[in-house]
Amino acid sequence: MISVQNLHKSFRGKAVLNGVDLEILEGETLAIIGRSGSGKSVLMKHIIGLLQPDAGKITVDGIDINAISYADLRRIRQNFGVLFQGGALFDSMSSFDNVAFPLRTFTSMTEEEIEHVVLECLGMVELPEVGAKMPSELSGGMQKRVALARAVALKPRYILYDEPTSGLDPETSNTIDDLIQNLSDQLNVTSIVVTHDMHSVLNIADKAAFVHDGRMHWAGTIDELHRSDDQILRSFVKANEYLIGK
Amino acid sequence: MIQYTKKIILDPVQALGRYSQLLFKAFGAVPEFSTYRKNLWEQMIHVGIDSMPIVMLAAAFSGAVTTVQTSYQLVSPLIPKSIIGSIVVPSMVLELGAVVTGFILAGRVGARIAAELGTMRVTEQIDALEAMGLNSIGYLIVPRVIAGIVMFPVLYVAACFVGIGGGMLVGHLGGFVPMGVFVDGAREFFQPFDPIFGLIKCLVFGFIITSVSCFKGYYTRGGAEGVGKATTEAAVASCVLLLLADLILAATLL
Amino acid sequence: MKISNELKVGLTIIVAITIFIFGVRYFEDLPLFRTTYDLTAEFDNAGGLIPGNLVRVNGVSVGSVNGVSISEKTGKVEVKFHVDRKISVTEGSYATVSGIDALGAVRMDLFLGPRDAALIPEGGLVGTGEGNDLFGDLSARAPEMVQKFDDVLSGLDKVLSETGTMLSEPESDFRTTLGSVKGSVAQLERLLKEERARISIILQNVEDATGSIKTITSDNGPAVTKLVSDLSVTIASLDRELVSLGEASRSLNELLTKVNEGQGTLGMLVNDPSMYQKMDSTLNGINALLADFRVNPGKYLGQMKLVDIF
Repeated sequence: MISVQNLHKSFRGKAVLNGVDLEILEGETLAIIGRSGSGKSVLMKHIIGLLQPDAGKITVDGIDINAISYADLRRIRQNFGVLFQGGALFDSMSSFDNVAFPLRTFTSMTEEEIEHVVLECLGMVELPEVGAKMPSELSGGMQKRVALARAVALKPRYILYDEPTSGLDPETSNTIDDLIQNLSDQLNVTSIVVTHDMHSVLNIADKAAFVHDGRMHWAGTIDELHRSDDQILRSFVKANEYLIGK
Repeated sequence: MIQYTKKIILDPVQALGRYSQLLFKAFGAVPEFSTYRKNLWEQMIHVGIDSMPIVMLAAAFSGAVTTVQTSYQLVSPLIPKSIIGSIVVPSMVLELGAVVTGFILAGRVGARIAAELGTMRVTEQIDALEAMGLNSIGYLIVPRVIAGIVMFPVLYVAACFVGIGGGMLVGHLGGFVPMGVFVDGAREFFQPFDPIFGLIKCLVFGFIITSVSCFKGYYTRGGAEGVGKATTEAAVASCVLLLLADLILAATLL
Repeated sequence: MKISNELKVGLTIIVAITIFIFGVRYFEDLPLFRTTYDLTAEFDNAGGLIPGNLVRVNGVSVGSVNGVSISEKTGKVEVKFHVDRKISVTEGSYATVSGIDALGAVRMDLFLGPRDAALIPEGGLVGTGEGNDLFGDLSARAPEMVQKFDDVLSGLDKVLSETGTMLSEPESDFRTTLGSVKGSVAQLERLLKEERARISIILQNVEDATGSIKTITSDNGPAVTKLVSDLSVTIASLDRELVSLGEASRSLNELLTKVNEGQGTLGMLVNDPSMYQKMDSTLNGINALLADFRVNPGKYLGQMKLVDIF
């Protein structure tokens, strides 16, 4: 379980998060939605301790991640898999080595075992044949899928997705959505999806949290989202539906 | 006025603070050898062995040029030709061997490190390393700095060897000074501390170039343009700090 | 076979360390593989010796100076140096510092003792001998010489001023005496004119000598030693000459004082015919001396023998 309490963060005097509260329960898929620049990605980076809050508290499984040593924080981070916006594949390594990297770094598996796991992960993202290719030889969508394979290689308990479908064509977006759906079903992971794509929110999420003006403006299940009469939330959802409809 | 003061005084002090903070973290990560073991060998190849040809080329030419210029400046018949050797060898060992190598590494290795780390920063690869639970400073910076400290002296030895050899050869073939006389002159004034001083300089230069470039790269901001800026700044800052360190070392140790 | 990164880096580092060690030994003039033999020598004056200067035996360099320091106990200069192990430095060996400090070309010469004597142990003390730094010696003696010349000149000055006082007396018979002196001086001048050719030869020789400074700077140690010792002898005899010249002018001075004070006025001196006759005979003596000098200059120029060497 992850909980965020009263999180404040400002950059160069400009407040980005202004007292955010959030709770993610074991096994559920939460979508954090909001406009571009509303601080969704900043919120996500706080959850794995990549950014330190100005004020507030973040606990993972009951442990305050800003009160522990760097070594302990890194141990907690090993429970997370993160899919970054651009994939963030290591461009000096082949796709295979990228997926194998966490295994080689954090496990004592033999090369044969590693190869087995890597092929399994690449198969899960439906790219079993790209192992030898360098990231620069892959399309944006493929890079994201390989990055997803890397994120799940260590069988994490939590997976964070930062804009998993942005910049992709609708078909590839659907594929990614399906993958996220499958992963959370198969591996029973807790997922946090940061997105502004309502289409994928409706596809994959159990719950949604709407960040607006640096605050948690609204939170609830998808059913509640449909029924909500909050003006700001409605206009955000509507704008997205309009785009989807088009 | 306030802006100006901030730019001239506050920003550099703040940068120094961030730099030492990064170094502090890097020192803390040194014991985690398994994190960077594989990277260390790779960086040693990049920093040291790949730089060997260009360093040797530059050193050979500076040795040769020093010989030719020294003999050109020695017009008095009362001064023996062996003085050429007495001037070229200490010049190479004390100054040129280290500084020529330093400038080449600042341009070649410094820029490379900054561009590499800068790109990793703006494409979130550093965040990805961290998110996996890896110590990104230990993984990226420590091996580069260690490679610089270890391989710079190696390059220095190569530079001195080739530089003195080049000077001797050009002196001999060009008819400025025969090799035997050159060596006699070099021996006459040879101080065993000179090469030790050269090595100390190299350790410092190797540390400065790699750590400053890592600092610039690691804290890159703002996309492709930021990477370009970091790369230029890394090369320039390395060169300037190298010269400053050169002066300080000469003033304190000689 | 693919060479691993570890191997490449390791090999490069080993090669660099090897080059470094051998390079330093090479320029330190240590044999690359053989070991060396450390010795010490104590000098009163190191004459500008610095670490790195060569140590030679019979003009062959066999090692170099490691360090030069002032010993705290004895206050002497302690020079540590090493030589090749194949050189047997036996008891009775001694070291000298030679070369020209002003040109920075200083070295240490080691003169080996008898071959059958016992070896000096590692780190042992080697005896020292007088070195030869030509320029150094000359410049060291210069102040002494200048002082002597100064004494003589001030004496002469006093004499001349008093003579001047005498001469200023008008109608003095002393003028007649001066007439004779003038004649003598003329004769001396003539003599010098005749000797001009000889002087120019001497100057020529001096010039040649300057030309051979290069020879001096090179390995002619013994010749330089001899030259310097000859010079010392000459300087010593020149000293003697100056002392007697000083004495001569002092007695002349006394004489004049007597003339001035003892008899009261110059008139009394002039009225004393015996005094006058004495002076006249003295002048005649000088004339005779000059005549003799002209006939047989070698007798008097003997002192300039050294100059003939050049």
